[in-house]
Amino acid sequence: MNDDVKRDEATARAGDVADQSGKSSVGETVRPGEDNVVTDQAAVAIEEPRLQYQSPFTVVDALPPGYTKKPAGEPERKIISFTIDGAEVRAPEGIMLVDAAKYGGVEIPVFCYEPKLGAPVGACRMCLVEIEGIPKLQTACSTPVRDGMAVITKSPRVIEAQNGVVEFILLNHPLDCPVCDKGGECPLQDISYGWGSGKSRTTEPKRHFEKPVALSDGIAIDRERCILCYRCVRFSQEVSEDYQLVLLDRGAGAHVGTFDGSQYIAPFSGNVIELCPVGALTSRAYRFRARPWDIEQGGSVCTLCPAQCNVSYTVRDDKVMRTLARDNNAVDDGWLCDKGRFAYQAWESEARITTPLVRQGDKLLPARWDHALDVAAAALKKSGERTAALAGGATTNEEAWLLRRLMLEGLNSPHIDSRRGGKLSLDVARTLTQPALTVSVPDIEWADAVLVLDSEPVDDMPILDLRLRKGVRRNGMKLAIATPRPSSLDANTALVARYAPGYAGAFAQAVQAELDGSGDVDDYAARAGADAADVRAVAALLKGAERPVILWSERMLYTTAGAAPAQALCNIADRLGVGEREGAGLMQIPIQANGRGLREVGFLPNIGPGLTDGQPGRTGMSSDEIAAALGSDISALITVNVDPIVEYPNGRTWAAALAKAPTVIAFSTWLDPATALHADVVFPAEVGPEKEGTVTHPDGRIQRLRQTVERAGEVNAGWWVVGELAKRLGLDLGVKIANQATAQIAAGVPIYEGITTTEIGGTGVRWQERGAASNLPAPDATTFLLEAPPAAPQPNGRLRLGDFKSLWSGGEVVNAATLRALASGPRRVELSPVDGHRLGVASGDTVTLKTESGELSALVALRDAVPAGAAFLMTDERDGNEALRAALAGAPELIEVVK
Amino acid sequence: MDELLFQDIDEPGLNTIEVYERRGGYETLKKALRELDGEQVLAELQASGVRGRGGAGFAMGTKAGFLPKGTMDKYLCCNADESEPGTFKDRELMQKNPHQLVEGIILASYAAGINKAFIYIRGEYDAQASILEAAVREAYEHGHLGENIHGSGFGVSLVVHRGAGAYICGEETALLDSLEGKRGNPRLKPPFPANAGLFQGPTLINNVETLSNVSHIVKHGGEWYAKIGTEKSTGTKLVSVSGCVQRPGNYEIELGIPAREIIFGLAGGPLPGREIKAWFPGGSSSPLLTPDEFDLPYDFDSIAGAGSMLGSGAIIVIDDSVSIVDVALRTASFYKHESCGKCTPCREGTNWTTKMLQRVADGDATPMDLDLIAGVQQQIMGNCLCVLGDAMAMPVSSMVNKFRDEFEAHLEAARASRTPLADAPAKLDLVGGLVPGVIA
Repeated sequence: MNDDVKRDEATARAGDVADQSGKSSVGETVRPGEDNVVTDQAAVAIEEPRLQYQSPFTVVDALPPGYTKKPAGEPERKIISFTIDGAEVRAPEGIMLVDAAKYGGVEIPVFCYEPKLGAPVGACRMCLVEIEGIPKLQTACSTPVRDGMAVITKSPRVIEAQNGVVEFILLNHPLDCPVCDKGGECPLQDISYGWGSGKSRTTEPKRHFEKPVALSDGIAIDRERCILCYRCVRFSQEVSEDYQLVLLDRGAGAHVGTFDGSQYIAPFSGNVIELCPVGALTSRAYRFRARPWDIEQGGSVCTLCPAQCNVSYTVRDDKVMRTLARDNNAVDDGWLCDKGRFAYQAWESEARITTPLVRQGDKLLPARWDHALDVAAAALKKSGERTAALAGGATTNEEAWLLRRLMLEGLNSPHIDSRRGGKLSLDVARTLTQPALTVSVPDIEWADAVLVLDSEPVDDMPILDLRLRKGVRRNGMKLAIATPRPSSLDANTALVARYAPGYAGAFAQAVQAELDGSGDVDDYAARAGADAADVRAVAALLKGAERPVILWSERMLYTTAGAAPAQALCNIADRLGVGEREGAGLMQIPIQANGRGLREVGFLPNIGPGLTDGQPGRTGMSSDEIAAALGSDISALITVNVDPIVEYPNGRTWAAALAKAPTVIAFSTWLDPATALHADVVFPAEVGPEKEGTVTHPDGRIQRLRQTVERAGEVNAGWWVVGELAKRLGLDLGVKIANQATAQIAAGVPIYEGITTTEIGGTGVRWQERGAASNLPAPDATTFLLEAPPAAPQPNGRLRLGDFKSLWSGGEVVNAATLRALASGPRRVELSPVDGHRLGVASGDTVTLKTESGELSALVALRDAVPAGAAFLMTDERDGNEALRAALAGAPELIEVVK
Repeated sequence: MDELLFQDIDEPGLNTIEVYERRGGYETLKKALRELDGEQVLAELQASGVRGRGGAGFAMGTKAGFLPKGTMDKYLCCNADESEPGTFKDRELMQKNPHQLVEGIILASYAAGINKAFIYIRGEYDAQASILEAAVREAYEHGHLGENIHGSGFGVSLVVHRGAGAYICGEETALLDSLEGKRGNPRLKPPFPANAGLFQGPTLINNVETLSNVSHIVKHGGEWYAKIGTEKSTGTKLVSVSGCVQRPGNYEIELGIPAREIIFGLAGGPLPGREIKAWFPGGSSSPLLTPDEFDLPYDFDSIAGAGSMLGSGAIIVIDDSVSIVDVALRTASFYKHESCGKCTPCREGTNWTTKMLQRVADGDATPMDLDLIAGVQQQIMGNCLCVLGDAMAMPVSSMVNKFRDEFEAHLEAARASRTPLADAPAKLDLVGGLVPGVIA
């Protein structure tokens, strides 16, 4: 290509509408300063080619935010070239023109198009473009780009159509932008500005609706502002699949609502607020609280559950005003659950602890920091190596790391644990952490078969629920749910298996037996209380899949079966050969939000940082052992973001043990029972937007929390408090800012070696994808010989007892105005209609549940899907009362239900 | 010309299988199953050149040929949602000769390898639906439907499904959504129904009249059929003539005869003392034609050449007693009422146009509003998700352009008669009504 031609092209590309309209034909392109000598300097300046808009996209950026590589199951796309407004652009084949145009720096306006919602609908008609060879204008949102395509987005015809659509949309839009929450961050404003004609020709009265109407406690709907883009309805129908939002009526009278006018209540309902391209769906908690020009956004990570969704806090005057999703396809796909979205309200509630508290007699009284720290340090000094520490919840890797150092170096005590129950087997831990045997979140979406074992995703890790639905709906994933209690995903599954509560391990062993003949499948299935045919079907599904994935709950590890359930999972992984297959593997759904991080930085009694060997001769006590030793071998206990009475299955044991403990030091957000009843010193804990540090996602992604608001009241940083305690014990932890703790982790945790906050960035990094992953010690054994599993007891007229914790529980729910009404309510027991009939009880009746150790009352909820012979008791963190604890002490497997 | 579809249409009991079979009905089916394979039947349909009678006029054989080959569930949907204003031919076909349709459906299914067929009939056709249901039952009883029909190894099921009365459900993809139990909204195309239609399976959708032709085509051969009518508009056409004529009704004509023969010959011309001012050649969505165009050959291409369309073959005749302003308002109101609301230009454009035309009718407008109305129609045409928006924009646009003088005269008369201060305050049209739970 000679230089002249190159210049021609550059000019042609830089040319705008005038060139498109055919004023200059090919070969006659005007070259400034060359062919047409113009003396007027100003005219020359105007004729000069405009600076090329630099597109932020390149072909390398084809991966969505958070992705470092394409999931194994996702089809390859080849790179093609096409022209847009005369400029040649390279983009992945088959993506929609709207997206492909961005590779050329061209924005095509859209309202209804949102790839997160699945297939385009082409409803708003905003994205009409001209494609050479097609007579009618086409919607760029639904036209896949093909090699050689010639797209025109700026011809008079296209501009006229775009102006027309904007005019149509504004016909009935109230244009009440000055009093609209969306004003200033509104796609309709932006598109009217960029693609509208700028004038109004209508004189007709606008359409009117009653407004605003409460769609739910969280959402207000203003139907006059609605432009009927369908996004919210599609979310409800095709993403969260709660099927509540619908379009009512038709034509110009069409409007969004629920079918029968009832409230829109669903775990993910708040996402429609963010999806709305106008101010039709607004957050009632945010309405009229701020304008876009007096807020700032601060990115962080939600730490209310292991899903660790990426969020952006909207801050005004140092207060969180709302929580928005921050797109990270590798973590959350850009969605949030309502708990994560509205929990910020709770952090400003009166119930939150915002000053240090010190016990005086039977009262906890506010204290100055110096005093609280002195009291705590004195107690720790006295207790010395007879101190134990528990960490949980949202405790960051840094806090756990520093506390671990305080315990080991300052107090010479190895008694630290972040788990419930006994000690974790090193071989099992290492095997189940092997990068080859585990999967990332995007891998789940593209797996062809997924088994969910012993978990209800919507309660345990809500955002996973949406990912599974997406896999089933869009990628042909076959989903198997094996749980004791009916799951909300049952309707989406290829198969459902039920077993006795607490016998997931036996179920796993039965599946293993079917895969390798290591046992009698019928016998094992019977021991698990499961149907042998279900076991065989699950095994066949996994075996037949190219990329099988097993999502298993950490809960499986805390049964009387000990390590066997986890060992069975190791065996299954081996039999399925997931280690050799890209995109196949296991993922644990931890109970604690940062369960994985706490484990990996070494907050365990017997295992060192990065799953290294524990120090010889310094094996500490597990949480169960600590409970037994409190008051004798252990005289002081530190709890960080964990309340063993409420959260641990043996809460009653803990209640008794804590009563004997001479000193309890708690880091806590709420006055939970253990804190309120037994703590001697309480340090107020930071909450999400106040925190700095890192956490580790269940798939190994290290993510960064960033402080976006000043800490409430007297609250201080967790790392600072630990550092101050250490100082008083004569130990300098060397941490003056949070980042220094991260640096210590980077030096001290082999698998996190060299990690920096810069590398973690906004979307996190999976340590398995870094070189330091090779520092993970190899397990001595990856498969295990197992004995026959224990058998679930036969009910014989009684019922097998299972429990569940609703998403709608915890301080963040009961103290948030928007969520309060969803809080789990009075204690509930779910029974099957068969048992209900046998016992003569109906939904709403009060029954007494009797065990050997006690009894309690609960409201009956009959659910068709509950298997006969089982009862599921809702446990609620608020429900830490003695009756419940007494009845559940010793984890009874059978209960008697009496009317 | 011999009548084809309407042959002895008024014979008593033709709707029963006894009479239909006595007259040779289902013999074509038996013969075809015995002697021809599906490909050969398809070849006859393609040779016949028969074009879809529902409105779009797409060649039926070609469309049937688009369905993928191979073993899978394939569907046929007979579109009996006849709802275009002025169209009532399918009603008569279904009411008087349902088996002709059923036989056509079976043959078309055989041709395209379809195993599941549906008739989607509009809810208002209650009696016709019952008749069809009875006919389908009889066809099952006589072994014309079901598994392994007449020992041929070919089987097809047929279900009559009643719609709930939305015009849009006559649009083929909205029909599919409705049939699937969803809100009847048009789908984005592609994918076209031939690839991913009902329940995402390959689907052939044809109008009642089109399918009623099939048994005749197969019986006499595609070539024979192609000789009827013109080269590109083969066969006969049922024409529903309504409006200001002496003998409104359904007539079967050979495609290509002059429109004058239909309006003045068959339908008897205008009422005494009246003069025809305009006519819709193919339902209310076709642009108006004027008396200058009476001598146009009545076939797909000639009418299209005159800037209108043959559509469903519904001729609506307007005489000098009718105000074009009223016709425009009535037409626009209908489409506004029937717009599904999914895409912007149709939802807003039909609503806006209706409001403006109402003002024009009320005399509360100026000639500049007529320019605006015409401009808005241009903004709608070709930019919608389906053709409903165009269905209003095309005729309204033709009315405003061709009868501009009449519109202006209407406005001028209204202006002259207006008394000052007669303006009523603008009304609020409250759509949602009072809704409980209003906040703030």
